[in-house]
Amino acid sequence: MRTCRCLPIAGALAVVSLAAPPAPAQVTADRLVNASREPQQWLTYSGSYDGGRYTSLDQINRTNVQRLTLQWVFQTGVRGWHETTPLVIDGVMYFTAPDNHAYAVDVRTGRPLWHYQRNLPKDLSLCCGPQNRGLAALGDRVFMGTLDAHVVALDARTGRVRWDVAAADADKGYSFTGAPLAVKDKVIVGVAGGEYGIRGFIDAYDAESGRRAWRFYTIPGEGERGNETWKDDSWKRGGAPTWVTGSYDPQLNTLYWGTGNPGPQMYGANRLGDNLYSDSLVALDPDTGALKWHFQFTPHDVHDWDSTHTPILFDDTITGRPRKLVAVANRNGFFYVLDRVTGSFLLGRPYTQVTWAKELDASGRPIVLPNTDPTPEGTRVCPSGTGGTNWHQPSYSPRTRLVYFFSKEQCDTFMADEKLEPPHRPGRPYIGSAFFAPPGEHDEAAVRAVDPKTGAVRWEFREFSGAWAGVFSTAGGLVFSGDGQGNFIALDADTGRDLWHVPLGADVHSAAISYAVNGRQFVTIPAGGALFTFGLPEGTPSTAAARPGGR
Amino acid sequence: MRMTSVQLWATVAGVFVIGFSIPIWSQVASPARGEAVRNPLTGDPKAVTQGAVLFRQECVFCHGVSARGGMRGPDLTTGSWSHGGSDAELAATISAGVPGTAMPPNKLTEEEIWQIIAYLRTLQQPVMPPTGDARRGETLFFGATRCSSCHIVNGRGGRVGPELSTVGSGRSRAYIIESIREPGRRLSENRAFGGDASLKYDTVTLVTADGSTVVGVPLNEDTFTVQVMDMNERVHSLEKKSLKSFRHENRSLMPAYDLNRLSDADLDDMVAFLQTLRAGSSAKKGGSHEDL
Repeated sequence: MRTCRCLPIAGALAVVSLAAPPAPAQVTADRLVNASREPQQWLTYSGSYDGGRYTSLDQINRTNVQRLTLQWVFQTGVRGWHETTPLVIDGVMYFTAPDNHAYAVDVRTGRPLWHYQRNLPKDLSLCCGPQNRGLAALGDRVFMGTLDAHVVALDARTGRVRWDVAAADADKGYSFTGAPLAVKDKVIVGVAGGEYGIRGFIDAYDAESGRRAWRFYTIPGEGERGNETWKDDSWKRGGAPTWVTGSYDPQLNTLYWGTGNPGPQMYGANRLGDNLYSDSLVALDPDTGALKWHFQFTPHDVHDWDSTHTPILFDDTITGRPRKLVAVANRNGFFYVLDRVTGSFLLGRPYTQVTWAKELDASGRPIVLPNTDPTPEGTRVCPSGTGGTNWHQPSYSPRTRLVYFFSKEQCDTFMADEKLEPPHRPGRPYIGSAFFAPPGEHDEAAVRAVDPKTGAVRWEFREFSGAWAGVFSTAGGLVFSGDGQGNFIALDADTGRDLWHVPLGADVHSAAISYAVNGRQFVTIPAGGALFTFGLPEGTPSTAAARPGGR
Repeated sequence: MRMTSVQLWATVAGVFVIGFSIPIWSQVASPARGEAVRNPLTGDPKAVTQGAVLFRQECVFCHGVSARGGMRGPDLTTGSWSHGGSDAELAATISAGVPGTAMPPNKLTEEEIWQIIAYLRTLQQPVMPPTGDARRGETLFFGATRCSSCHIVNGRGGRVGPELSTVGSGRSRAYIIESIREPGRRLSENRAFGGDASLKYDTVTLVTADGSTVVGVPLNEDTFTVQVMDMNERVHSLEKKSLKSFRHENRSLMPAYDLNRLSDADLDDMVAFLQTLRAGSSAKKGGSHEDL
């Protein structure tokens, strides 16, 4: 039987009782819809439903960012990349660590309030480590997807389990690594396991009871439209996972979620066809899970170019008229802008070196170049298997109207042999060979700013190789990022000039968040096995007023 | 009905093993007995093909597509096995992994493990006994060829290049020859997935603010700084912004030992010496420094 450790920590309680106690979290659906009106909180994975990962707080800005100082560090003691995005709700910070640890700490001091640790089976099928990217909050609960394919609701005040439901069979390669998204009365979760022959899905659970409200399979079943894009019964194990948190438009009542690679990743001969809805953006009705539209970025992918990126929802005038838009910097090397009402393609342009497609046609479909599929001898293709970008959190600033994201300049040699069809063994790798860096080449990383009205790269900040951090932009004119060597970096959002950095001693695998306590703005970033919180010394002058939306 | 792995293995092997609750190789207490447990699928063409498929699923990310060594795993074609080369020992290594190394336990059936071993056996390069004079090679290494000015072996030598105290057990003869004749060829092969992607033995050339030129290997580097060991083993810590120029050469600092620098006969002696350097033969016990 699985049990959990949910320990109130005596010292922490003492601290809380001395200071003004944080109010119990009561996160209503309305608060989530209007999250941008509470910039002192960080209520969802992306800070708001639009996926923009932006704060309207501007107390920390270009003129004073050099004065940021460490406020507190929380060491989890857990090994592995910390990809979590913390939530900050009414004085408490909630976050996760690998292996499904979850924590609540006093946001003012970093002192722990409770800790949940899941007892996990030892032989889980995890492609890329025991990662977890965070929690969702609704009511007085926080929600986590687990590596053994459960969804759990924890009491936000104690960490005790309120409900725990098995969503899928972990023995068959299903797991949850992404942060859920709470919408209305439901908790939406996406699944991982694209390397293990799963059939991907997006699930919604009733936040109160844990009952599953709907499931959208990202691969249509027999008789459903799109099923014909899979050879024979390959759809049953075709992957298309959904392991990164999506976005939501309350006005359109539409959920936007990215889907991952078809399986086996590098071997396409046994799944001929476009393989819908792999490597796509799907627009769903959050009440029913019904598909409104889809857009596929990489039909019949054989290069592992998951399109699970968090979609950025924004409004702007493009192609001559104001529109509701969605932007995606895709792992396949192209930057896309779609109409988010209809899903129609408006713009697509490479932001990195692309050697597999000549260009996109008028409908956004790539015009694939010959001799770019994996071969027994190996085919060099750019971008690499890990992509021109990856899952790492992008950001959109309504102040600069630029999309920011982590990007890589890297190519790979892709290998597969049609004569060596990989066997499907539930819960075991279903990949069909591999990709490698060509000898003599090494990767470079950059933070790039793209103008979503043209797709042009406005600026880039080159980082040393090995960087895997997300980005976060602010009304103070800053873009925060990190590098693979542990630097936490602040850039000028207009120019990309580096303004400040601090070495944190271990690589940054997530993006920063910001919030305010008693009128003071703070920034928190995970690095290594710890969370670091920075703020300005009390009394630091701010040339920009501490008001939402200021410059 | 789906057969269990053990049943399937027994069927294929023609051996009655139903009822074993633990893999057969794990019951082998000693290497001597280990020799007795043979891979029932050795030489079976179907098993070899299936082993190749499985190898590409399970092993390539560390050991490379052709098993010649990769980002984290050693060359598996040398015929030299650090953790035992009998069928039973290989099966145990694949199944249980090697604690304290990057080699994890693997959730494979017995039949799958035998298939992978059957495939690996087809890749073995003929074990070529050293034809050269290892003693003369050692003399060259520490003398005329000046290898030891950069490479340390069993506590003797320089610090700029990788330590070679166990190179004979981790790398094949062919790899060693290539590394001497074309030292820069595999510079980028150790790029790790999501990890530190620095080219460890790449050459960097930089000019400092006062105009002096430094050539060396980066000990570390990030977006803003670089730490370089120069040819005199001096360590420089530098802010990139302060430099007049900074360049990765994408080549090894080691000169190519072509025929002008090293005759075929001398090479043969040198390789014979390097092949004697094996795990356990050195004074490296108690540490974890790896330079292969």
